[in-house]
Amino acid sequence: MPASPEKALEIVDLQKRYPNGVEALRGVSIAIEPGDFFGLLGPNGAGKSTLIHCTTGLAQPTSGQIHVFGHDAISDYGEARAAVGLAPQEVNLDQFLTCEETLEFHGGYFGMRKQDRRERTKELLETFSLTPKAKERTRALSGGMKRRLILARALMHRPRLLILDEPTAGVDIELRLELWHYVQKINAEGVTILLTTHYLEEADQLCGRIAFIADGQVAAQGTSEELAVRYDVANLEDAYLALVGRRELSRSHVEGGVTA
Amino acid sequence: MSSAQIRFLSLWRREISRFMKIKKQTLGGPLLETFLYISVFGGALGSRIKELHGIEYIVFVIPGLIMMAFATNAFTNNSSSILQQKFLGAIHDQLSSPASPRELLLAFCLGGFVRGLIVATLTFIVAVILTSLPVDHVLVLIPAICLVGFFFANLGVLIGVRAEQFDDVAFAQTFILTPLIFLGGVFYSASLLPQPWETLTKFNPVYYMISLVRYGFVGFTEVNIPLALGALTLATAALFLVNLRLFRRGYKLRS
Repeated sequence: MPASPEKALEIVDLQKRYPNGVEALRGVSIAIEPGDFFGLLGPNGAGKSTLIHCTTGLAQPTSGQIHVFGHDAISDYGEARAAVGLAPQEVNLDQFLTCEETLEFHGGYFGMRKQDRRERTKELLETFSLTPKAKERTRALSGGMKRRLILARALMHRPRLLILDEPTAGVDIELRLELWHYVQKINAEGVTILLTTHYLEEADQLCGRIAFIADGQVAAQGTSEELAVRYDVANLEDAYLALVGRRELSRSHVEGGVTA
Repeated sequence: MSSAQIRFLSLWRREISRFMKIKKQTLGGPLLETFLYISVFGGALGSRIKELHGIEYIVFVIPGLIMMAFATNAFTNNSSSILQQKFLGAIHDQLSSPASPRELLLAFCLGGFVRGLIVATLTFIVAVILTSLPVDHVLVLIPAICLVGFFFANLGVLIGVRAEQFDDVAFAQTFILTPLIFLGGVFYSASLLPQPWETLTKFNPVYYMISLVRYGFVGFTEVNIPLALGALTLATAALFLVNLRLFRRGYKLRS
């Protein structure tokens, strides 16, 4: 099926079965428009990270299609991957490298020229308040600094689609707000963003459209309001609780219970 | 410079940067080890054995030591680098880049190759200063030593990709690589061994590699040089193709 060139990310009937037999994705289809801030929500093990790994080449789909800005992620992986920046869930920095080298090498992997790499590295270190740590090895950084560096690395080659896999997991409020401001800024500049998170207020505030994923399938997608209507509840949080079958945990339900 | 060339050079530079940052361990250690071999076999044993096949004993041994240094460093570098990066997840940064499987494989291979080459070259320089090591057949020596380095660099990649824990790499090095090298005739001539050891030695592929390198340096050989060179070329190409297939499939690299 030909991809729609106007989509930033188009996933059609994606299936992924691991060698141990686990079916992580069972026919997922998602379409993200350029400039969207798209949220992917679901419980642990729902298939969010697998979907991201299939998109970025870290996992091989069993079947289905993935197109990034019209480029097939399998047969035209060079162009597809060049358009994507990935900030993964786990801290996967190379401990042998300094902050500066981490960005510089990453730029090189994406074919950036030396002068451009140098300027972009300087710019991103400054943006993420890492300039004083430029020459320090990544293992010497605090947890928050590592998160910032991972985001800077994902942005190094100026991706058109930024994938953030639980970027604020375990970070303090100050850094979380800082990251929110930054990703909102780059989204306003035209970068499409795919965000997975367990923080529903984060998804509610940042994402224009959201997909619920459960058991390797897209259960529902739309705006926060549309999802609330779909599950006949008041807000996104309650819609999510309905999805996972835990309506009794709804704040209104709990507060109502306490009052009564 | 094209994007592909920039990608490849960056991947390769990262590999070199890794071992240069820990050069006491990656270059200093192997050099000391080789120096100790030269001291022990040259000073202690050499004073008693004097000559083998009309060649001063230490001069007979040094080509094998140079080959051993090249082989073990190329192997160790690549197996450790890949496993470490898999372990830390840092390899994902390279795997999710536009780099092709061939670019990734070549960069890993040449990282270990350069480390082996540095240690082998420094060993050669020390040997030339301390002994009267000749270079009789440079046109055999250069392709032979390059093929040996590239073969073991590829072997290191293969073991690193397959390995799931550091024990897997240590096992391959301690129980397979080291015995093959030591029993391949680094320190002796196979023709001096009693049967069946002499015949068994000829089933060891490393024996032919040592013979090629030794012929390049001192002109002595017990094997058919063109045949050995041809077989080594084929074995190296085959191993590279096996690795390339694994990289294309993403075997134990991509889930």
